[in-house]
Amino acid sequence: MNSLGKIADSVDAYNRHVAAEVARARTDPAFATALRERWAKIRASIETTHSPTGTALPRLALPQTDEPGAIAEYLLGQGLPGEFPYANAAYREMYLDKVSGTGEEPMRLFAGLGLAEDTNARFHYLGQHQKSLRLSTAFDGPTLYGLDSDHEGVLGKVGEGGVAIDTVEDMTRLFAGFDLTRKDASVSMTMNAPAPMILAMFIAAAKRRFGPGCVPNLRGTIQADMLKEVQAQNEVIFPIDASLRFLCDMIEWCVPNMPRWYPVSISGYHIAEAGATPVQQAAFTLANGFTYAGLLRARGADVNEFGPRLSFFLDCGLDVEYLVLGRVCRRIWAIGMREVFAANPKAQILKLHTQTSGRSLIAAEFQNNLTRTAVELMLSYMNYTNSCHSNSADEPFTTPTEQYATLASHGQSIIMEESGVFKHMMNMFGGAPGLLILERQVEQAILAVFREMNTLGGVLAAQEQRYQRSKIQEAGHNYEKQIYAGTRPIIGLNKYVNDEPMPSVPLARTSPRKQRLQVERLRAFKQKHAKKAPAALQRLENVARHGGNVFAELVNTVEVCSLGQITACLSGVVGKFRPMV
Amino acid sequence: MARAKTTRSTARPAGPLRILTAVPICDGHDSAVTTINIELARHGIEVIYLGYHQPASAIVRAAIQEDVNVVGLSSYNGGHIVFFKEVVDQLKKGGGGDIPVFGGGGGTITQADARLMQRQGTDRIYFAGTSLDSMMAEIKRHYGRAAKPNARFKGDRALARAITLAESGLSFPLLPAPRSRNGAPHRSYVVGVAGPGGAGKSTLIDELTSRFLQGNPAGRIAILANDPSHPDTGGAILGDRVSAIYSQDDRVFFRSLATRGSLTGLSAAAPAAIDILKASGEFDLILVESVGVGQESDPFRIFGRGPKLVDATLFVLAPYYGGLIQLQKIALLNGADLVALNKCDHPMAHTARAEIQARLDQNGRGQTLHPTTAAKHFDPGVDALYAAILGLSAKSK
Ligand code: B12
Ligand SMILES: Nc1nc2c(ncn2[C@@H]2O[C@H](COP(=O)(O)OP(=O)(O)OP(=O)(O)O)[C@@H](O)[C@H]2O)c(=O)[nH]1
Ligand SMILES: [Mg+2]
Repeated sequence: MNSLGKIADSVDAYNRHVAAEVARARTDPAFATALRERWAKIRASIETTHSPTGTALPRLALPQTDEPGAIAEYLLGQGLPGEFPYANAAYREMYLDKVSGTGEEPMRLFAGLGLAEDTNARFHYLGQHQKSLRLSTAFDGPTLYGLDSDHEGVLGKVGEGGVAIDTVEDMTRLFAGFDLTRKDASVSMTMNAPAPMILAMFIAAAKRRFGPGCVPNLRGTIQADMLKEVQAQNEVIFPIDASLRFLCDMIEWCVPNMPRWYPVSISGYHIAEAGATPVQQAAFTLANGFTYAGLLRARGADVNEFGPRLSFFLDCGLDVEYLVLGRVCRRIWAIGMREVFAANPKAQILKLHTQTSGRSLIAAEFQNNLTRTAVELMLSYMNYTNSCHSNSADEPFTTPTEQYATLASHGQSIIMEESGVFKHMMNMFGGAPGLLILERQVEQAILAVFREMNTLGGVLAAQEQRYQRSKIQEAGHNYEKQIYAGTRPIIGLNKYVNDEPMPSVPLARTSPRKQRLQVERLRAFKQKHAKKAPAALQRLENVARHGGNVFAELVNTVEVCSLGQITACLSGVVGKFRPMV
Repeated sequence: MARAKTTRSTARPAGPLRILTAVPICDGHDSAVTTINIELARHGIEVIYLGYHQPASAIVRAAIQEDVNVVGLSSYNGGHIVFFKEVVDQLKKGGGGDIPVFGGGGGTITQADARLMQRQGTDRIYFAGTSLDSMMAEIKRHYGRAAKPNARFKGDRALARAITLAESGLSFPLLPAPRSRNGAPHRSYVVGVAGPGGAGKSTLIDELTSRFLQGNPAGRIAILANDPSHPDTGGAILGDRVSAIYSQDDRVFFRSLATRGSLTGLSAAAPAAIDILKASGEFDLILVESVGVGQESDPFRIFGRGPKLVDATLFVLAPYYGGLIQLQKIALLNGADLVALNKCDHPMAHTARAEIQARLDQNGRGQTLHPTTAAKHFDPGVDALYAAILGLSAKSK
């Protein structure tokens, strides 16, 4: 499964290839001519557009050069937007059409609070300003850990920090009133260890509303990245091998049955928020991605089929490396997938969702958080992320309340629609000297981490030795130490402090009455299905025990069983995860 | 009631502060607590870390068995008002009402919340943006009381306090064993577990614990987990409970012991702790984990009064011990009653098995090698190892 050493070597080899081609462009007249001709053709194909004040602009900005070496450097080293190695962008036009009205906007806002109907109301509220249907779901603690709302000791956590989902009936309430089969609908779910159960409930709920034929039309993403759970987010229920097996079962089922679904979102966000540096975030995340590719390939799956179904999720904070992190990741992924996994172009493209950093947002003088998020949004879009979530200014205190969620969403609109930065011209920044320097440094640092993990035996072996966790914890500790030593300026906390009293902001909390209501609903569901549930669980157990595709069975199990019942059943077969410090 | 006994006087006025830290159930935000743990240890405090996603009952059990000065909770996923109160209330009920509870949760715990929580028994809350140094200074000031004997403590808390006193070099009470079912004095079988760092001792102990709990519907098992103190600061992060998933059971008494400068692989208080546990008559089996040792001599021999501190020793090693020469040098392989080759899922395990068996055959003591994969659930190798322990225990009776 471990191909990290080979991947690092392949990136270096590609860089040497680029250098050789640049040299050849400068010495081989025939090659130089060919490059110039191609360059001229590309330029001729670029349409002209006009800014609102009348300035004429090309829709694609290219380096202003005719020198063959520079042309080769750009075309091979970075690639045109939408071309290998994809440093500039995954697609040719990215935001140009989207913001001018024809495509889908990249904004995606994460929401989840209280019971299903409360989150449903928030979805309807957020959706008023969006052209396309974008639902991004946050779940509460018990759901994230695969427990029912009536599990001992969890009542206070029900509906806090996300929505409580115990059964297919809750799932039905969650998406009431939305046409999930619309072509421009997209549902994303931040769900990991119980992802197979929750996606199965989603499918079951959709079938109830739109008929059994709707499944291939469902579009969206489920996070389901168990490696970063072990390394950073700490939501693991089953032993690692079983967790990976359930995940691969789900991916394999989705590839043919849900062609519009992304069954895994390989996430660096949680790694960075837990404390990792930008380089560690990128290195661990890409390495996890290559590990999934290796696991799926070892199960006999075709890289060109599953490759395009993998998507990525990165954090964007204020450190300088974030100017280029998305660019560098796209490039390493493309080279590794092409050279080591023999993937075709569609399977080489790293599709990126970005979230601005939650950890950079602080409680003291919290309205400054609006500015921090705005800067991070700029950096995210400069990296041509495919979609983006902006955090709300009340992030340190609570699940966003409507007021700050709206400001967060409008922040994106101001950058993308009001400002002209991303509207008219593609590739505004690629090739700038600072970016080039940073890209090289960051890329080499990432490869060094790959090589270190390679000597430990790869991602899974390194993980067993707590390599990623100890690096992340050390970096997180450093970050806090820098804050309190004053070497990392945080305005309002250690610099330009106004000594204002801690603000009191409105909080989104779930009342005990609602928490009890959720428990009552769950009990009613269990009672209703008390006769059928044991047989359904028995069938699931058999499939799990005998190596069948667990996901294929879950789609049936969720009709009559709750999340907690299913978790307990699977735990009985595969055991429990043993956590690490 | 309790009879006092004086130990050898490695007189230290009082041991370092001991703090239990944990993150509540359904919450995996451990970045703050891991930073706090490092800082506490850096300030000479012994941190017993329980981990994230911990129910109140597990936190209370650990606080009592570890006899900590204070419990620190780091809560982010909401529900803190309910959760902190649950811990405070259960502590009171379980005989730990004197153990204060404090914590933090960044901006998620508001000042209004904190006032309410304090009325409901929480000691203090650290808000977002509190500097680490000021927090540490305050913690040492507020919670640094020395443990004293307390005759009102009962059950696990009384045992735990006796061990704390032994750790501080003070005299400690040996609680007399309650009469056993057939009138005979209750005997505990004590197994010392040693082996190189990272071989899987703790994992194996936890898997053995699960076998014990399954096999004995009523009995109790005790675990003494020795881990090194930081040589300079004197602090320690004792994290063995994090991975001990089966030890989260009232039938398990789990105690973490920092070595506090002892270089033998065990805390200087380990012999006393074993005495205390044995005398209580509570436990059928006592497992003592030494810190990782290599080629030195047996940590369970150098100590005790008499030849051995324990009834049997289990030596655990992993397939990557080096080569045959290294294997020859491992003194513990000569005397160990039980030898487990763990991590048999490792590619080198096959060769290792043959080499170690040959090494044991040289000893001529009929030692058998137990191949185990502790990381695998329901591993038959662990079943066999557990059966072997039961066999030895039965023979000794
Ligand atoms: C980092 C982070 C994450 C990381 C966590 C990584 C990790 N392994 O820890 C990731 C990205 C994985 C994550 C995930 C989630 N998160 Co989060 N996360 C945060 C974030 C950004 C920072 C928290 C943090 O670690 N700060 C750094 C610490 C060191 O500083 P501090 O918080 O200021 O704490 C100080 C003091 O309070 C004190 N302190 C803290 N604890 C203790 C304990 C003791 C004993 C002592 C003495 C002192 C002390 O020390 C600090 C220094 O002064 C906060 C928002 C924010 N900006 O605060 C959200 C936040 C806590 N998360 C939130 C949520 C909802 C989630 C999720 C549930 C989202 C979801 N639905 O999927 C998941 C759940 C994950 C899980 N497994 O439980 C919410 C909670 C909302 C609520 N309670 O109402 C928050 C507030 C964000 C939001 N507004 O939505 N999160
Ligand atoms: N692959 C594999 N890993 C294992 C096995 N048993 C334990 N581990 C892993 O090895 C690492 C160390 O395990 P521990 O049980 O902490 O080892 P230890 O001997 O107690 O370590 P120290 O107390 O630090 O000396 C952990 O990451 C375990 O998950 C096994 O059978 N196979
Ligand atoms: Mg150990």
